[in-house]
Amino acid sequence: MSHIKINEAKCKSCYLCIDACPKKLIQKSDNIGSMAQYTVEFNDTKNQCLGCAICAMVCPDMAIEEVVNDK
Amino acid sequence: MQVFNVPKSIKKDCTFTFCAGCDHGVAIKLVAQVIDELNIQDRTLAIASSGCSVLLYNVLDVDCIESPHGRGCAVATGAKRAFSANGKDNIVFTYQGDGDFASIGLAESMHSALRGEKITAICINNTNYGMTGGQMGPTSVLNQVTTTSPMGRNEQYHGFPIKTAEQIALCDGTCFSARVALYDYKNIINAKSAIKKAFEYQIKGLGFSFVEILSSCPTNWKLSPQDSHTRIKEELSKIYPVKVFKEK
Ligand SMILES: Cc1ncc(C[n+]2csc(CCOP(=O)(O)OP(=O)(O)O)c2C)c(N)n1
Ligand code: SF4
Ligand code: SF4
Repeated sequence: MSHIKINEAKCKSCYLCIDACPKKLIQKSDNIGSMAQYTVEFNDTKNQCLGCAICAMVCPDMAIEEVVNDK
Repeated sequence: MQVFNVPKSIKKDCTFTFCAGCDHGVAIKLVAQVIDELNIQDRTLAIASSGCSVLLYNVLDVDCIESPHGRGCAVATGAKRAFSANGKDNIVFTYQGDGDFASIGLAESMHSALRGEKITAICINNTNYGMTGGQMGPTSVLNQVTTTSPMGRNEQYHGFPIKTAEQIALCDGTCFSARVALYDYKNIINAKSAIKKAFEYQIKGLGFSFVEILSSCPTNWKLSPQDSHTRIKEELSKIYPVKVFKEK
């Protein structure tokens, strides 16, 4: 299964990854992060992740630390 | 298969202290990936400058010298010549803001290009002085409102903005000059190729290599990270075309 690993402690809630994911698999979480805003989480119940790493490349804070492509 | 992880040339467990959504973080990630891919981490020297760009040395895991404001290319010149004189093939690059590279440091920058110093310069063009609070810089565009041009930049009073990548391309000592942007994935990938090329030109010893990066400053632009990228795509990249201007 392709997937990503997000380090919430590094997330600054800019939400650029939410817009960039072609499958819309990143969403706001229920946790408040360092910027006093909701951090993001990966939600892929249907195994749609492409393992494309677009999210990790657009994240300015390297909060998306790993992308595994198992396709 | 792991297709992305934190580059080896990024310090373990460091924190990026740029504002949320600031493209400086993306630019530094690309530099780190290029250093890893070219396998030059142990022989690369970064020259940091004054401005938000200085924060590079908190995150990039290579040796680094902090230069006085604008003098990045002069410091890089000295370091590279000293390495060469001692038979060492170290890679030296500067990471500078637009105010640093193209205003206070314009003479050092341009003369390094004219002399064909075998260094690489990376200039973050965010159309203002970021760290000091968003003052008008040499690259602020006409009508841009900043803290020191509250009525907008006016060509009669303030003059015109500088097209840095075009100017550096005109210098005979320049072997590579390009402008790139980071507002979407496609541009990020193209930016990485340009940065890699600039380093490769230095490795080949062909002259001065330069990449200007159109970059967002959401805090001082008073725009969201998303709207900042829209500004770069719709407005800035029309004034500052994303293009390779010189490739020897
Ligand atoms: C000789 C000198 N003059 C002024 C300053 C104050 N100063 C620090 S950062 C900065 C602006 C940097 O702007 P820019 O180069 O555009 O980089 P950015 O912060 O936007 O990345 C200034 C004027 C200084 N450090 N040294
Ligand atoms: S791009 Fe990075 S910092 Fe921004 S919301 Fe996504 S994970 Fe957080
Ligand atoms: S002031 Fe601007 S350039 Fe500096 S970290 Fe904040 S957004 Fe980035």
